[in-house]
Amino acid sequence: MPSLVIVDRSGAERAVAAGPGLTVMEVIRDAGFDEMLALCGGCCSCATCHVHVDPAFAGLIDAMGADENDLLDGSADRDANSRLSCQIRFTPQLDGMRVTLAQDD
Amino acid sequence: MTQLADRDYFTDYQILKDPYAYFEAVREHGPVYQPEGRDFLIVTGFEELLEVMRNSADFSAIIGLQGAALPLPFTPEGSDITDQIEQHRHAFHGGDLLVNLDDKPHTNMRALVNTLFTPSRLKANEAYMADFADRMVRGAVAKGAIDLVDEIATPFVTWVVADLLGVPNEDRQMFMDKIREAPCPGNLEGDMALDEADHPFAVMGAYFAGYVFDRVAHPREDVLSELANATYPDGTRPDPADIVKLGMFMFGAGQDTSAKLLSNAMRYIVDQPGLQARLRADPSLIPALLEEVLRLEGSTKQTARLARRDTSIGGRPVKAGTRVLLAIAAANRDPKRWDQPEAFILGRPRIKEHVAFGRSAHTCAGAPLARAEVRVILEKFLEHTAHIDIDEARHGPAGARALDYEPSFIIRGLSELHVKLTPSASFTPLEPAPADAERKADTPAIAAISTGDTRLADLLDNPSARELIDRHFPGISEDQRIGMAKGMTLRSIQKFAPDQFTDAALDALDADLAAIPAQ
Ligand code: HEM
Ligand code: FES
Repeated sequence: MPSLVIVDRSGAERAVAAGPGLTVMEVIRDAGFDEMLALCGGCCSCATCHVHVDPAFAGLIDAMGADENDLLDGSADRDANSRLSCQIRFTPQLDGMRVTLAQDD
Repeated sequence: MTQLADRDYFTDYQILKDPYAYFEAVREHGPVYQPEGRDFLIVTGFEELLEVMRNSADFSAIIGLQGAALPLPFTPEGSDITDQIEQHRHAFHGGDLLVNLDDKPHTNMRALVNTLFTPSRLKANEAYMADFADRMVRGAVAKGAIDLVDEIATPFVTWVVADLLGVPNEDRQMFMDKIREAPCPGNLEGDMALDEADHPFAVMGAYFAGYVFDRVAHPREDVLSELANATYPDGTRPDPADIVKLGMFMFGAGQDTSAKLLSNAMRYIVDQPGLQARLRADPSLIPALLEEVLRLEGSTKQTARLARRDTSIGGRPVKAGTRVLLAIAAANRDPKRWDQPEAFILGRPRIKEHVAFGRSAHTCAGAPLARAEVRVILEKFLEHTAHIDIDEARHGPAGARALDYEPSFIIRGLSELHVKLTPSASFTPLEPAPADAERKADTPAIAAISTGDTRLADLLDNPSARELIDRHFPGISEDQRIGMAKGMTLRSIQKFAPDQFTDAALDALDADLAAIPAQ
């Protein structure tokens, strides 16, 4: 099974197996990273699933929508690699992608 | 007498009135407690409740709608009952509805729902919501005294969700009537499952099936079209029957919960000293108000999970097959998580982490809509009033209110809230013309009028048309029998009274109507 590498807020990292048909947020959540709140459950409405994505994979992930862009604007930790993880569908091509949980706003 | 913590949550009317006192009594036994003589656990601790909601590997959502008290339709065997649950899924109330699904069927269907109430869609819809709210509230203020629950909250949320889903205008009133008949989810008296054949929602199912099949063939700009033509993340197409159920579930899930949030919020607005003046001066505080009301008195008191594997909660071992009541109302007042948990405090730090909408996989998908619609209508109430009061003749004075709650183990909500509305200095009543708000919303502003397209009521509301009718058909504008058919066009009425309304006479009237300038 392809895997996703998740770096938590303390900098510790762990590779987790990622099943088909899930979003990156769902993979992180189901792996038990409770510091990611994902309060709206993936409705692109809360920005608490913010991650920084390995730029090497930037070309392979779903493009950012306007709602996501607006929500990220509200985050102090936004940078060029910021994404809402619920808006990225995990596909086998993303095997080995590293995401870092953004700092709490 | 049985001590409070061991009384029956599901049937006790004292607990219905004050579930908070009951849950505090349960909390005294620790964050996870098995009441004396019962075979389910109650989780009142905030952390412990989150632990269960997050652990979807060990806990199934299958008993969300039927609750923790009902026995399982099978005898659990062994340390993992996942297969048994799947074999008996249809024997559970609402077993195949989104909120009760597990694993892949859940994530698949959830993916369809996640895209529905995005900020941009809600923003696009906000003008409509605000306009509709404005007309409802101005009507209420002109009346001066209303039952907020029955006259405003229920019709408002029904209309808003019907509009978003794409339920045609002409069917909405029927749905509104059906919903008024329907018991709240989690009804204490004669439980009726959402998927029972004679449940009003099942009756509505036939209509939803019609919409879904229509949207497959003729997609439009609405949520039902989006759902009907969506694909699951794995590329497969949903079965139309599943979309019918989902549409109905969304319609149902967004009814009582949002309506009750509005009336629960109104009670705080009136009864918290100084609060309404503060909100009128600064309406941008309304979202903070809603979060605190959701925490203190959210419209969902509890949900439930079934342990499907041997597991634990807060370090306490839990066997597969154990039913667990998740007391949302208690977690939101857990003193370990919230300072002064019983106090109403606007702008608490990290307030959005309350669990009024649940958490993790099954987090409410309609939360963004609920927050938006209730905010919009509260803005209108504050704008059009100088003062809002609860009717003391009905509910007693502040500090000693007599209030009745919906008899449901799931929903926390007033069954009535009679309020008195004092108009603001700038208040203007609705222009008197076409009376009911719905009809105005539906009648295009500029439309040619005729005996085939225009309802008699609308013709009679138009002074020039009324004059012509009086000329062509003397007496009918006052005729009581005809009056009952005012919702129909004259051409439809013709079928019942062909002698009175001949083709020639209607054609003559149409010729004159066509000359009236469009309004
Ligand atoms: C104040 C209003 C509302 C409250 C308090 C509320 C509360 C909840 C709660 C607590 C859950 C989770 C149940 C569980 O974990 O077992 C839930 C789920 C759900 N709600 Fe709401 N709700 C509200 C309004 C709405 C509205 C307006 C809609 C849709 C139009 C809606 C649609 C849903 C759906 C589809 C789910 C199932 C999500 C899933 O299982 O993935 N809700 N709601
Ligand atoms: S989970 Fe809320 S925006 Fe992603």
